[in-house]
Amino acid sequence: MTVTAKDIVRRALFIDTIKGMTLTLKMMFSKPVTIQYPEQKRKIYPGFRGKHAFVRNVTTGKEKCIMCMKCSNICPSQCIYIKKGRDANNKPFLEQYDIEALRCIYCGYCVEVCPVCALVLTEEFGYVSTSKDDIYFTKERMLKNWDEFVAKLDADEYWNKFWRPEGVDTSKMPKAKREQAPVPLRTMPARPEEKKQQDNEPAEQKPEDKTAGRTQSKETA
Amino acid sequence: MDISSFYGFFGIQYTNIYVQIIIMLIKIVIVFAAGMLHVAYSTWFERKIIGHMQVRLGPMRTGYHGLLQPIADGVKLFFKEDIIPSSGDKVVFQLAPMISIFATISALAVIPFYEGFVIANINVGLLYLFAMSSLGAYGIIMSGWSSNSKYAFLGGLRSAAQVVSYEIALALSLVGVMMLSGTLNLVQIVEAQQKLWYGMYIIPQCFAYIIFMICAFAETNRTPFDLPEAESELVAGYFVEYSGMRFALFFLGEYTAMIVMSCLAVTCFWGGWTLPPAIMTAFPFLAFVPGVVWFLLKVYCHLFLYYWVRATVPRFRYDHLMSLGWKVLIPLSLANIVITAIVKYIS
Repeated sequence: MTVTAKDIVRRALFIDTIKGMTLTLKMMFSKPVTIQYPEQKRKIYPGFRGKHAFVRNVTTGKEKCIMCMKCSNICPSQCIYIKKGRDANNKPFLEQYDIEALRCIYCGYCVEVCPVCALVLTEEFGYVSTSKDDIYFTKERMLKNWDEFVAKLDADEYWNKFWRPEGVDTSKMPKAKREQAPVPLRTMPARPEEKKQQDNEPAEQKPEDKTAGRTQSKETA
Repeated sequence: MDISSFYGFFGIQYTNIYVQIIIMLIKIVIVFAAGMLHVAYSTWFERKIIGHMQVRLGPMRTGYHGLLQPIADGVKLFFKEDIIPSSGDKVVFQLAPMISIFATISALAVIPFYEGFVIANINVGLLYLFAMSSLGAYGIIMSGWSSNSKYAFLGGLRSAAQVVSYEIALALSLVGVMMLSGTLNLVQIVEAQQKLWYGMYIIPQCFAYIIFMICAFAETNRTPFDLPEAESELVAGYFVEYSGMRFALFFLGEYTAMIVMSCLAVTCFWGGWTLPPAIMTAFPFLAFVPGVVWFLLKVYCHLFLYYWVRATVPRFRYDHLMSLGWKVLIPLSLANIVITAIVKYIS
């Protein structure tokens, strides 16, 4: 390696060191990027994948799941357990829907694949617990997650961008998914055409009468 | 027992031996307490400075802006388990941190903090400081040897080589100051600087100052010369096997050494506790400010320089370190001595 006179001058005058030190000094007076977590929270952008929830249908007050098993099949970590039950009238109903959130990798495939947009990964992320049972979401827990999420949301309707994945031909989607509109969050639906199509009965518990998810999703479609 | 002549050696004028001893003890307690407080808060200062230079915040949780962090760290280290490697040399292992901290803290004894406040006003102050700063390397080498760990051993060996290389240039860089002031007594060095209108030796001795600072970085094992404790290669270097209070002693030793080196730089090059006479005549009201304020401000600037360099410069490669020490710094400091001698002889 040849050392030129220029190199020696550069080294003797600490040119490069001084350049670097000017930069660090400049950085010292810039605004730190640290977010002081419990007091400050970072802005959550659309497409954030957090705590799992079932969309509660405002008219029936139940989940929209039709037990197609697509989410359970596509799940890479296989953490969704679904059990289909039959009621007294031999109608299928969702007996068990569990997501073991500790095993979930938050890929969002289940949300993308759901034909009726029943499932959502909400923007909640702070749900640590000292007990594993608290992070094992059953069907009831998933609906409760939705209620908690909605209570914090300051909007009349909610849309999750994974319900209609970008780059997928919409004509190949199931009809319910293709025509899914932002879901109303309050008990009074904002969209008149939905109101017209749905039964006018209030969201009271008539569990055996209607196998909730399936019928409802068809009506929405 | 001729204790009076012993204390007379330190240049204190009181005749009563008990008054001498009590005054001495009070001074020691003040310097020790203030020194330890500065060491504790220099770690906080370092973490804050480096944090902000890396666009972070540094400690924020313990107290207002993390001000209680050093105390929390100290309490934590104090109550931690003290582990001694079973295959190590126990006596040397226990002795090493004590030597390290003893050498650096006793170096504070000859530093004049302001006019008339120095624990030991001895005529060989500078020599004593060199002796103590190189004694600190014994602690490092002994800890590296006694830990019976390859990382600690490598760290100790590197430190031995580094201290040998840089101690010479460090001492030679201060020879110019000695020649200009004509003394090794640190108080008299400061007083000699007051005779110049600019009041500091940094101007005639700027090359010596740069060499001194580079050697001080190497002597205190700070980045970019932190090869003895290179985290990325040697885990922690010579004190890798130490835990709890013994680790804390090494830590204290390193930071005290930094403060001692900063104090030495301030005393020898920046006029110690004084401001330049030109400034003092221009702004006479500054005479009301106690000298220790200027002294501490100058020391803090040097500490900031340590942290600033640490946040910026990457570590030297080992052969570069050696060639810089032997091929550049020692010849340059010798040249500085020759030029200073010629200039002094002519004028």
